[in-house]
Amino acid sequence: MFDQLFDAALLESVVRAMVPILLAALGGMICERAGVFQIAMEGMMLAGAFAAMAGSYLAVSSGLGIVFGVTAGVLISLMLAFGTVSRQGDPIVLGIALNLMALGLTGFLLPQIFGVRGTFRHERIDGLDRLPIPGLSEIPWIGSVLFDQTILGYLAFLLVPAIWLLLFRTPAGLRLRGVGERPLAAESLGVSPTAYKYGAVIASGVLSGLAGTQLALGNLVLFAEGMSAGRGWVAVVAVMLGRAHPFAVFGASLLFAFAEGLGFRLQGNGLPVQITDALPFLVTLIALIAARKRFARLLDLTTGG
Amino acid sequence: MTAALEFRGVTKRFPGVLANDAVDMTVRAGEIHAVVGENGAGKTTLMSILFGLLPADAGHILVNGEPARFASALDAIRAGLGMVHQAFRLFPTLTVADNVVFREEPTRSGLVDRSESIRQVRNVADRYGLAVDPTEVVENLPVGVLQRVEILKALYRDAQILILDEPTAVLTPQERDKLFEVIRLLRDSGRTILFITHKLGEVMALSDRVTVLRDGRSVAHLVTADTSPEEIARHMTGREVDLDRRAPQHSPGQAVLAVSDLGATGEHGRLAVHEASLEVRSGEIVGIAGVAGNGQSELIEVIAGLRAADSGSVHLNGVDITHAEVSARRSSGMAYVPEDRHGVGTSHRASVWANLLMSHQRGPAFQRRGWFNLRAVRKHARSLISAYDIRTGPIGSPVSTLSGGNLQKVVVAREISHGAPLLIAEQPTRGLDIAAIEFIHSRLIQFRNDGGAVLMVSAELSEILALSTRILVMFEGRIVVELDPSQVTEADVGVYMTGAHQEHPDG
Amino acid sequence: MAETQPIQRSGVAARIEAVLSHPVVFSLVFAFALGWVIVYLTGNDPGFAYREMYDGAITGSGLRNTLGRAVPIVGMALAVSVAFRAGVINLGGEGQMVMGGLAGSLVAIYTPGPGEIVIPLAMIVGGLTGALWAMLPAFGQTRLRLPILITSLLLNYVARAVTGYLVRFHFLDDSVTLTSTQQVPQTARMPRLPIFGGVSLSLVLVILAVVVAWVVYRRTVAGYETQMAGFNGRFARYGGIQVERQTVGVMVVAGAIGGVIGTHMIIGDAYRFIDGELVVSGLAWTGLLVALLAANYPPMILVAGLLFSGLQIGGLAMQRNADVSWRLAQVLQALVIVAVASRLAFDLFRRRRRGPTSGELESAGVGEV
Repeated sequence: MFDQLFDAALLESVVRAMVPILLAALGGMICERAGVFQIAMEGMMLAGAFAAMAGSYLAVSSGLGIVFGVTAGVLISLMLAFGTVSRQGDPIVLGIALNLMALGLTGFLLPQIFGVRGTFRHERIDGLDRLPIPGLSEIPWIGSVLFDQTILGYLAFLLVPAIWLLLFRTPAGLRLRGVGERPLAAESLGVSPTAYKYGAVIASGVLSGLAGTQLALGNLVLFAEGMSAGRGWVAVVAVMLGRAHPFAVFGASLLFAFAEGLGFRLQGNGLPVQITDALPFLVTLIALIAARKRFARLLDLTTGG
Repeated sequence: MTAALEFRGVTKRFPGVLANDAVDMTVRAGEIHAVVGENGAGKTTLMSILFGLLPADAGHILVNGEPARFASALDAIRAGLGMVHQAFRLFPTLTVADNVVFREEPTRSGLVDRSESIRQVRNVADRYGLAVDPTEVVENLPVGVLQRVEILKALYRDAQILILDEPTAVLTPQERDKLFEVIRLLRDSGRTILFITHKLGEVMALSDRVTVLRDGRSVAHLVTADTSPEEIARHMTGREVDLDRRAPQHSPGQAVLAVSDLGATGEHGRLAVHEASLEVRSGEIVGIAGVAGNGQSELIEVIAGLRAADSGSVHLNGVDITHAEVSARRSSGMAYVPEDRHGVGTSHRASVWANLLMSHQRGPAFQRRGWFNLRAVRKHARSLISAYDIRTGPIGSPVSTLSGGNLQKVVVAREISHGAPLLIAEQPTRGLDIAAIEFIHSRLIQFRNDGGAVLMVSAELSEILALSTRILVMFEGRIVVELDPSQVTEADVGVYMTGAHQEHPDG
Repeated sequence: MAETQPIQRSGVAARIEAVLSHPVVFSLVFAFALGWVIVYLTGNDPGFAYREMYDGAITGSGLRNTLGRAVPIVGMALAVSVAFRAGVINLGGEGQMVMGGLAGSLVAIYTPGPGEIVIPLAMIVGGLTGALWAMLPAFGQTRLRLPILITSLLLNYVARAVTGYLVRFHFLDDSVTLTSTQQVPQTARMPRLPIFGGVSLSLVLVILAVVVAWVVYRRTVAGYETQMAGFNGRFARYGGIQVERQTVGVMVVAGAIGGVIGTHMIIGDAYRFIDGELVVSGLAWTGLLVALLAANYPPMILVAGLLFSGLQIGGLAMQRNADVSWRLAQVLQALVIVAVASRLAFDLFRRRRRGPTSGELESAGVGEV
């Protein structure tokens, strides 16, 4: 039984499932460090997926798809930043509303621009090419798993240590963490909390936009309504579970991606799709229960103590 | 000699309040200049304007003879100003070194050079005798050390003019004396010190000259050597004040609250209260003194039912309430004025009447089978407003429109009106003006005279000494001593607050 | 601050300005203006589209449909507001509705007997199921300290899967191509009233529920205590309110309303439980937006619920007649809330903005839900 389940193909699908979750979670993590409660990743990812597909279709170029995907994520992140940072609005309300706006807007634009409902696929949509690294990709097992990614896949993995370095070793990272912890203290030393929070939210817009791009042009080459399918929320949980630490967030993302990949595989082995679809969310819930001591901050935030 | 700092006609208006009204003040280079005034006199606003955190509506400020208008704190820092805020502005999870070098980090190939920042911070600390370990994480440090970190931040930036906003509020008398030594050392090294306080003793002990603020105006400029505490107090309040008042004592009766061997855990799993035993009898005020963070807050929270007891017991009127719900404690005779009147004692979004109703809402006078008698609710609110002279709009207006003193009156009125035998009063007058302090003190004394038992926690030793029948001192979660207020001075209490009476002579 | 206005403006202009200075009105105008731009950019005539939307919502069968769709929207808004008002961020309305809806409709389909018994029984079972489902995240928060915000949301996906599985493998109607249960028998369907061309009896029930909520909020200890916990949880605990127990209580009520509404959607509207139908409709989320727009104030929930219902029904007419997807309605709804939450107001663009004071920064927190 295990022989049938665990093979390189399973690991490949795990890594594939992981890239969008990890990209979004890294963005959410930067926001968390800057003291912005960020739950709009779901919407930014979905908008990114739609825009990436549209850009790729219009120019028959995955490069332009990436540009469009990032732009869509950034646009929504600007609305979030304006509302929460400049206007001091409720980040939970804004996050939910922006998620619903993205769902509505992509559902609106799909028939208006492409004349279809539900799912749109077309040969003009240029998917992201896989870029196998010569030599490394031929290593049995891990070669095809790790060294045969899209450009965004490589980026996601490289960003984990890069963001760690940025957050914990550079002046900008120190200031960002300071802003997130005590904005007044940062301000009294001449560091603008507004600027850093905007920066963090926009960074998460870029990363969630890339996550959506990977969904629509990397994992699949199509756009389907609601195709983010809760991954943005899973990313929120990954940030919580990983306590906003890059390597721990990576681990949490891997766990959820494993559940998704495994579900996909079990589906192939005849388990009903309804059960396998729920698997990532069940695993997420179980992981939450297992690590429950970690959410005091969020609980304080949502219950007023 | 040019003035280090000069304020000319500085004016700041907030909606409904004139916080600074044409303030004039001259601070000479190399002096310790005290700015005194009651809470609400406009000291903090003035300093915020100086430091670029608030824009002035009119007037201007000269620094070393040059007109200065700072757009942000950064401009002020660059002009050689350093500010130690009353509420510390530190990053708890960062190290001392990271806190100090923040935004002025030494770098090597783009990354923060940690060993270099530790070295530099240690240098500055050693030069001014500020004993701080740069590698410690700030949240693990006691309050007195945190203040040294704040001063280090200013000195690291080579501040020539240092502003200290109520720096002694959280210190023991011994720590305060140490701070004064540092301040004198800084003055002797040529720096200018602006010292903001409302404590007259400190003004007399430390400053060279004094500016008094009242109602947003600068009402007196005095030379410390030529003045007296009485004269300063007269300028501060605009009337004669009796500075040395102690409440007449009263003979205590039955034990109302009995706490024995209580243990409790604080934040981060730290042992906060350790084998604490105490008793409060009717007709007495028991004052708990201690440096902030030595378990007083946790002790009170356990007694009030907001924190779980790990061991020991709490009895109220003979009933074991160690593990009772808050509502059960209240109905067996407990009223509670909490330390944090904004976050715990009131809800700023709720109306005045809703705030006055809290903890009374299930009383038979106000409801039957869960349905309110709204007429009784309103009547209750109105009678408390008039009995405590609470200055407020209609009872439906949000409590956020009230001033600090009136907000605290809401809490005190609501709690005393329970007629409960035990009143817990935590920092009952923190941040209030003298009139409100006197009012609340008189209510506490009246409550005691009527046979009530009061357990009071205060950071103001003068308050503890003035009101208490007995004084308990807490240090590192233990009640270390019981003192008779008529037999001790502030300094005596301070010795126990620092644990200095124990084997190691100086903590 | 108060500059004198040298030019006397006409009464109409002043009145328009006064109306626009209300944040909700401004946000509505803002959303529709942005919607106008979106429709224009996608190559359609916004004026025509909006007119079709307006006509479709209130003329012909539109009014009946608007009232009909207001039932689940107002109901789900009420369910959300019960929780939000008490500071409990229940994002699990969808799951509670779907679970309750399936349980209720199965009772209606398989219980023999007269409608007078079967219909109330279906509602009760639906409500209980919704309440039980809502208790999972409630106890998760009070016993395990897991934030309801996250768990209730994740459970939506689980509820989708559970109901989908049950319908597909246990209660499938083989006679149709849909993944669906059998039809609810005629006798077990929610009766319609002979007004506005036949609106469901549920409309009366939902209005009644809103009125009850309003009275409870204003007049009872429970209403006071939930409100106080929503304003400031620490204050509520300090005052003796048992916030944990109350959290479970409001979740049970919210889940029960959700379950009843889910049941209504089957026995009063669709007549068969089709896998995914209640999710795709987005009703629970529309209800959530209505509760936010109404700031949990019951009379406003009715008004805002009717407005959003009209947007959706009118949107369908717009889709038929103007070739503009009804999903524009979803965009408009979300934009209104984004604008309200961002505190957009007319004076924002007139008055020169200043940075927040340090005092404002200090007091800026969450807790506006």
